[in-house]
Amino acid sequence: MITLTADIVRSTNKKLTMPTLTIDNQTITVPEGKTILEAAEALGIVVPHFCYHKDLGAVGSCRMCAVTVHTGPMPGLKMACLIPVEEGMVVTTGDDASATFRERVGEWLMLNHPHDCPVCDEGGECQLQEMTISSGHGIRRYKGDKGTYTNQDLGPYVAQEMNRCIQCYRCARTYKDYCGGRDFGVMGSRNRVFFGRFKDGMLESDFSGNLVDVCPTGVFTDRTFRFKSRSWDLEQADSVCPHCAVGCATIPGGRLRELQRVCSGDNPQVNASFICDRGRFGSGYASHPERPRQARHKDQNISVEDALTLLESQIRTAVQQHGPEAVLLLGSDRASLETNWLLQRTAKHFGCRVPVLNAHARRHQTAQIAAFDFSDRLASLEDVRNSDLVLVFGVDPLAEAPLLALALRQMVRKQGRVLLYDPRPVELPCEFDHQAFSPAGLQELLENGGVEGRHLRDLLGQAQRPVIVAGADLLGPLGLQSLHAWASGASNAERSCQVYPVLAGANSFGTALLSLPEQDDLLTRLESGKVKALICVETDPLLEAPHGERFSAALAQVDNLVVMDYLPTPLSTNAGLFIPTCPPVEDSGTFINNEGRLRRFRQVIKPGLSLARTGAGEHPSREFTLITPGGDPLPAALVLQRLIRQEQELSELHRHLAEDQPRLKELPTITPGAPGKRVKPAVTRPQKTDKLPEQPAGTFQLVVSPARYGSDLFSRFAAKLAPRLTSTRLYLHPDDLFERGLKDGEKAVVETDFGSFRLTVASRPGMAAGCALVENNGDCPQLIPGAGLSYCHIAPGGADE
Amino acid sequence: MSQTTQLLFKNRKPGETIFLKEFSANGGYQGLKTAVGTMTPEEVRELVKASALRGRGGAGFPTGVKWGFFPADKPGTKYLVCNCDEMEPGTYKDGVLLQADPHQLIEGMILSAFALQTQVGYIFIRYAYEKQAENLRRAITEATEAGYLGKNILGSGFDFELHVHGSAGRYILGEETALLNGLEGIRPNPRLKPPFPAVRGLFGQPTTVNNVETLANIPHIVTGGAQWFKDLALTPDGSGTKLFGLSGHLNCTECFELPVGITLHEVINKYGQGMWKNKQFKACLPGGASTPYLTREHMGVPLDFASLEQVGSRFGTAGVTAFDEDTCMVAVTLNLIAFFARESCGWCTPCRDGLTMVRWLLETLESGKGTREHLEMLKDQLANISGKSFCALAEGAMGPVAGLLNHFEQEIVDHIDRGHCPFNK
Repeated sequence: MITLTADIVRSTNKKLTMPTLTIDNQTITVPEGKTILEAAEALGIVVPHFCYHKDLGAVGSCRMCAVTVHTGPMPGLKMACLIPVEEGMVVTTGDDASATFRERVGEWLMLNHPHDCPVCDEGGECQLQEMTISSGHGIRRYKGDKGTYTNQDLGPYVAQEMNRCIQCYRCARTYKDYCGGRDFGVMGSRNRVFFGRFKDGMLESDFSGNLVDVCPTGVFTDRTFRFKSRSWDLEQADSVCPHCAVGCATIPGGRLRELQRVCSGDNPQVNASFICDRGRFGSGYASHPERPRQARHKDQNISVEDALTLLESQIRTAVQQHGPEAVLLLGSDRASLETNWLLQRTAKHFGCRVPVLNAHARRHQTAQIAAFDFSDRLASLEDVRNSDLVLVFGVDPLAEAPLLALALRQMVRKQGRVLLYDPRPVELPCEFDHQAFSPAGLQELLENGGVEGRHLRDLLGQAQRPVIVAGADLLGPLGLQSLHAWASGASNAERSCQVYPVLAGANSFGTALLSLPEQDDLLTRLESGKVKALICVETDPLLEAPHGERFSAALAQVDNLVVMDYLPTPLSTNAGLFIPTCPPVEDSGTFINNEGRLRRFRQVIKPGLSLARTGAGEHPSREFTLITPGGDPLPAALVLQRLIRQEQELSELHRHLAEDQPRLKELPTITPGAPGKRVKPAVTRPQKTDKLPEQPAGTFQLVVSPARYGSDLFSRFAAKLAPRLTSTRLYLHPDDLFERGLKDGEKAVVETDFGSFRLTVASRPGMAAGCALVENNGDCPQLIPGAGLSYCHIAPGGADE
Repeated sequence: MSQTTQLLFKNRKPGETIFLKEFSANGGYQGLKTAVGTMTPEEVRELVKASALRGRGGAGFPTGVKWGFFPADKPGTKYLVCNCDEMEPGTYKDGVLLQADPHQLIEGMILSAFALQTQVGYIFIRYAYEKQAENLRRAITEATEAGYLGKNILGSGFDFELHVHGSAGRYILGEETALLNGLEGIRPNPRLKPPFPAVRGLFGQPTTVNNVETLANIPHIVTGGAQWFKDLALTPDGSGTKLFGLSGHLNCTECFELPVGITLHEVINKYGQGMWKNKQFKACLPGGASTPYLTREHMGVPLDFASLEQVGSRFGTAGVTAFDEDTCMVAVTLNLIAFFARESCGWCTPCRDGLTMVRWLLETLESGKGTREHLEMLKDQLANISGKSFCALAEGAMGPVAGLLNHFEQEIVDHIDRGHCPFNK
């Protein structure tokens, strides 16, 4: 007898009964509300199905999952996906009636399906093929005409081949219902239904790629992957998306030393079975043509071993001559937990000062509030999906955590309510109330409340399962601490008000958790003038932290700049000593996501120049060598272990890490592909918080927001995302535009604490007045989100030369 | 003209539409006045239940029972929807009624809304019924001006507003949940039941959907009483009169109000005035295109829900379509299936693709290229489509196929044996 765990019990706060039923002579006990199909799946009984999808639910349209119910008020042939289990129910799946009917359904579904399996792009991973075979249908008896369609051009990401469609409606249910897209749907009727856009054109949704995953056959396929590989030839592994801090499960696939595609993995607590287009189509960084793959000392290419010898002597010399302060090891929120921890170990090994784990000091501070203060009330995305009230402060979900936007849509579909406070003209794929508060106004609201604040706190108090979503970049330490007080105030003995913090990097939470209280920030240490050797591991403070000019100036006093990275960043080209490392797809390790969840990823491909490039488009080279071209990069964690001469298996490393850091006790038990467990809660760690600066007359509050595409370094180096990139504009509220005598499309000069920029102005009615909004996508690299509240002057920029 | 008591057609005049003045003069709105003035909503519902009125839209579900599921006494927005999307081939009774006497429906709806305590009503009308929609709009205006519609109806404190909404024109919109989707402005696929419309219907609120003729009967039940209404039928478990729309190979193809339980013989020979061109009766659809055929052996069967179910057919909408002796029943069935396959909404597999398969089988058989294997396949399709689709469309579509296989299998075999249609001389 098998028991299915009641994963929904917690979220509904309701005592559920656990009916026991018999399917094909096997008995199972499942939570009330589960269907026969889910119970059968738990028993390992395959009931073929199409329209039922774990996360889309059941609609009963395909009629494939027919079984026979022998008891109860309505016995007979029933759709397993629709019938909730009942105590004492007896069900058979293999009886004549249901087996014959399923075979007929298989036959009907295949009436129009072309016999192009050998050349079909879905070949090898076609659910239709599996389900048709399991339905028992083999030979087509229908000899009538088959329906054919004209395909649409749906843009560079998704290819359409409508003739293969079996009308399971999963695409429309994913695109419209689940993801809230508006430009794709069902048209026509009878056996001529068509799934597509009103007319040709790029799919508008930021989640369009999910069509590829949900389509059970070859109608919607990944256009960027088409004709590259057969799915069975791919090297695939469970991985974690590095593009933001949500930590979605992905299954990247590579072949011939090239990362060719990314599919959604399945994590019921985090992303369910969907990912965003940034994560799916933003994988080009791993095979970027300019990716540095060779260790280098000054202008000389050297071997990694020589580089390590050199690095060791540089560190030892600096420590001996100038003391522990002289070596600064810099970690990163896009480097794995293991790498960051090994940096701390390296520092200990050489007797250097505690490493700095994040170049962006303020982001590091906010991440610590998430990792410590919030650690006993962290919400998962599943909690967000099941919430009845979500208050969002200072987050543009589609830009900062796209799957959060999808989670919000799901809770709104279940009659939940979203109230969002943000200066930006935020769009969401669902209904929500947006109050455009300026950053200063937001701080005021969170700190002192007023009427609006009281109202919101009342709502939080009344809600059954409230969640606060807190944007670390915009709110900063001060705002997050205020929200901590809000959440504590709204919690009671029965239920806790949870918080979902939105951090910046895939491993922001992990670096914050590992960081030691005595860790100083990068600029303080560099500007002290004591640092002689700076070792940057998978980070470029010029692109990833504000005040790049101060960083550059301070670099002048550093004798040795060492960079380890896999991205062609400016810093890596300027490094005196460079050691190539591997992106997550070429490495095994761990990230900790926004919700404090340990997310393990496994190596998908080995580093090396793709065969497509070594062969220059022709047949791959026929010269066989023992050395993989471009295969020098090593995972940063391995580089550091070799540096300190302590190479360990990953499991060994995890054991040590868990011993060293009790909050990571579960780390050794977590496998790639598993939902991942949360880190243990911790006590609050005090943070120094600065008062907000006074606003000078005639200035605007500067809001630097991540762009939806091109803000994280991964997507900036991903060529496939080019069609989605937008050029940087200076967005102003129409009233401000009018007051300054500016017009849409004119140039303006914006003078900020980070430099002066001449940008095209654009009017955005949905944003807060008194704010100047610039999206960070690399055009103005000095403007980094999360730098804190600052003010800017805006003046007309004159005509173009 | 029929000799039965005329309820719905009592004001009917050839080529004319009766409006408020004449309708009121002939006892119109008396039922409403009686109910609102002297009865509680619950009493009206009980009366309708006692009258044993069964839905006139085709399914024949007891109206009183359906209303019993409706949370009439619960506060909140509730809707009453009139299904006037009369798209069933061979059925045109609602169109005739609304062309003759639109206030019959208006009064019925106000009264039903009172019984069900709904504040808003919609008449969802077939796209082709432009004239009827015009009549209804005029009748609504008249009724509103007369105080029968709007706020505080007849001083009772009861409010009801009524709207006419045109269908986009597909057969599936006659399915009540698809109709609700259509009314909401979304794709008219049928909805999953449960939840039934009485629980979550239009815009997520409790909703009752009733046919035109059903609703028009309510005032007569209120004025005449439940027993009187029941006694109008000729069968013991039947009740009321029924609008019979005659069509096909008859001498007279008109719509008559006849007692429930009248025999097929009387309908065909008395009201239909016999088969045309002095031919023999071969078969008929007793209640619209989705009901299995009746044949010569059924001439004595009383036309009512229970008695027709006993002989393997359905009363449906009482749209009687008769076929003469020279009609190829395979061709008739093919013609009907072609309609249903075309009108499938495309939502579920048995309907979308199963009917396509059935149409192909019938095409093959009718053309004489069929074999006994095709005949077996047809039987197999019938067994696997009927009762196994998402909504009732495919089940109805297979009604004529069931009739064909039950009564005219030899005719199919003749097609196979001769290699051509035996009626194609």
